[in-house]
Amino acid sequence: MEFIYNIISGWASAGYLPEIFQHTFMIRGMLAALIAGPMLGALGTVVITKKLSFFTQTIGNAAMSGVAIGLLFGEPVDGTYAGLYGFCLIVALVMTFVKNRSRLPNDTIIGVVLAQVLGIGIVLMTIVTSQFNIHQVEAILFGSLITLNDQDLLALAAASTGAGIIFLLFFNRVMLGSFNPVLAKARGLRPVLLEYVFVTLMTVVVVSSLKLIGALLVLVLIVVPAAGAQNIVNNLRQFVWVSILFATISTAAGLFLAGFLPVPTGAVIVLVSSFLFYGSLLLKPFITKRSVTQA
Amino acid sequence: MPHTAEEQRETLLEIRNLNVTLGGNHILQDVNMDVKYGHIHAIIGPNGAGKTTLMRSITGGMPHTGTIRFMFRENGRIGYVPQLLEFDHSVPITVFDFICLMLQDFPLFLSRKKHKLKRVKEILEVTDSAHLTDRLMGSLSGGEFRRVLLAQALVPLPEILLLDEPASNVDEVGARQFESLLLRLKKDHGHSILMVGHDIQRILDIADRVTAINRTVTFDGSPQELKDPARVAALFGLSAMPLGAGAANLQQETS
Repeated sequence: MEFIYNIISGWASAGYLPEIFQHTFMIRGMLAALIAGPMLGALGTVVITKKLSFFTQTIGNAAMSGVAIGLLFGEPVDGTYAGLYGFCLIVALVMTFVKNRSRLPNDTIIGVVLAQVLGIGIVLMTIVTSQFNIHQVEAILFGSLITLNDQDLLALAAASTGAGIIFLLFFNRVMLGSFNPVLAKARGLRPVLLEYVFVTLMTVVVVSSLKLIGALLVLVLIVVPAAGAQNIVNNLRQFVWVSILFATISTAAGLFLAGFLPVPTGAVIVLVSSFLFYGSLLLKPFITKRSVTQA
Repeated sequence: MPHTAEEQRETLLEIRNLNVTLGGNHILQDVNMDVKYGHIHAIIGPNGAGKTTLMRSITGGMPHTGTIRFMFRENGRIGYVPQLLEFDHSVPITVFDFICLMLQDFPLFLSRKKHKLKRVKEILEVTDSAHLTDRLMGSLSGGEFRRVLLAQALVPLPEILLLDEPASNVDEVGARQFESLLLRLKKDHGHSILMVGHDIQRILDIADRVTAINRTVTFDGSPQELKDPARVAALFGLSAMPLGAGAANLQQETS
């Protein structure tokens, strides 16, 4: 990793990049932003179509418990990966299982689980914070450029590469299953299995992005770029690409600004993505070709 | 009754002793029926009679007892047009996107539109909907939407088409267009069509055979036998209408 950091900081010293990229933490953060942004943007299009926005928030909330569980089981304070990925995946898969087995509406199930993981999280955090540095937990909640380390970056790169390949392989089928599961099933697909695949992908990418964006704010980055894209696009192809573009601009510009401001990275990323959302809303009448509710 | 040439047709779908129980309710009881090759076969019945449950059993989406047997000659494909296609109307999926999602595994957002446009238009042309290619799915009228759904059900070419309430949410003109389309598919391609419907007059106009159900089969025969309004009223449990002798005959027939 040092090799890459040296090259990029060399460019910054030579004036090809802003001076702030002489710092390793900034380079590391920007690399993370350029990996997480496109991935979250692409996944966001399916999240919006499947109406899974608050599902993502539940995974973010579960991360609090995940970190605490990792620490309790003796994982190092800056690398609670087993606790984080393990607990968040369990929560995501249990929620999908209950959703497919119960007649309760999706938002009710998410509400039930959201409350439960918050309860577990608060209890465990209270126990954990009496023994560990609260700033590590804060980093997970709000995102932190300073505590992001090489391990986090590599985990994000590996998760995004794996998730990206599976996403490309299954995109059409997942999208059709999301658009309407009954029709997908009639055409020989297995929408429930596809949902499990997608939820696993999403959880892995969301958890990998937590140190950069923060558990409480990751929902925004998966939903807002896709929602902003939805304001101005005319077809599915544009939907995916504009969402990727908005998410990448949000993470990269947010991170760049956070380098100058003494505030959490996630918060600035969220503000940039919100700016893009409202901007696209204002541009909507000039860009979209036709009304969606014409009929 | 002597067997007519129509009744000698080869059977495509055979349903025997079909029973469906959900939450303690016996929704379908000992349903027996045959669908013949090249027929438009209509299933009618009052609301809550179990029509959609029957359709879902046939498509494999409903646990049941009894046998549902297809006797396919070729590819064994079933084309299905669901009654309601619930989806978020704000999702920016065009008719082109919708058809392409089913045509290819290669991610839609990486492929170039012009490579698939001709094929998609050909598919939509069959149901007179090629002009809808660039429209958003959420902006289609009920009739247009039905035609697009029917177009997707015809690819690859199925041996039987299952249509659940094809006339629901469709205006008068749209319903007429859709009926003539079904007749054309039957005539040009020899499609077998099994459809659930509630508009009796429409069904009598286009169907070759009608099965009425109200938990069990209450009538199975040619649409001409249902020209008597009293008989139809009896099938739909409309006691306010004068039932007359037709209802009495029906009782005998179904007992």
